[in-house]
Amino acid sequence: MTIVISTYLIYLAISIALTIWVARTLHKNGRVFLVDVFHGNEALADSVNHLLVVGFYLINFGYVTLALKLGYAVTSAEQSIEALSVKVGMVLLVLGGMHFFNLFIFSRMRRRSHAQPNNQPPVPPDTFTAVNQEA
Amino acid sequence: MQALTVLYDPECGLCRRAHEWLSEQSKIIELKFMPCASDEARKRYPQLDHDLTKQDLTVVDDLGRVYFGPKGWLMVLWSLARYRDWSYRLAAPELLPTTKRVVSMISQNRYQISRAAGLNR
Repeated sequence: MTIVISTYLIYLAISIALTIWVARTLHKNGRVFLVDVFHGNEALADSVNHLLVVGFYLINFGYVTLALKLGYAVTSAEQSIEALSVKVGMVLLVLGGMHFFNLFIFSRMRRRSHAQPNNQPPVPPDTFTAVNQEA
Repeated sequence: MQALTVLYDPECGLCRRAHEWLSEQSKIIELKFMPCASDEARKRYPQLDHDLTKQDLTVVDDLGRVYFGPKGWLMVLWSLARYRDWSYRLAAPELLPTTKRVVSMISQNRYQISRAAGLNR
């Protein structure tokens, strides 16, 4: 096995492990949040939670796959570690970005579902008048 | 608040067009329309200054709260399901002066606008 192949394999292993770990964390901790968003409808919360995790996996694995190619020769262990640091660092940044995006979506869903319809008139009245209800 | 009565100017084409548009919108609060200074309006609101209602749109709720001009328009927007958010936006302190100026301008020139837009009888 050449050093390039082993670099690729280590990159894939680290990236896949990280993605699975983040996805599981999101799945586990996002559930409580979604149950609250959907006012205790656990079936719907689980369904949305699952769909979100699927999307998360697709985007991350897609990125990991596309970013695999090094584009330059790796001849020593030193170069291999340097290449890995760049690649894994990018994956971590993408995961971080995705994670905050997920949190943003969750909090927005929650705020929306808890927004009360506002029943206060926008302006105070100018004056009052008697109303003849029969007329 | 269950219903708003809109005292509108039956002589103005723009107002009639607005009336048509409003009747198609889905509402949170019922809107009733009454020609301003009509016998009907005088009977229902015996204490109201009906000459004032001829100058500008007037909205009265079922509890007798009166909203003149731009405030009346904001209340009408507030009664519509799709535009309730807009009524708050336009009534925010930063926008209210502009809202009042624009609505008053349209209101004062309603006959000219109706004529220009070909909305007269």
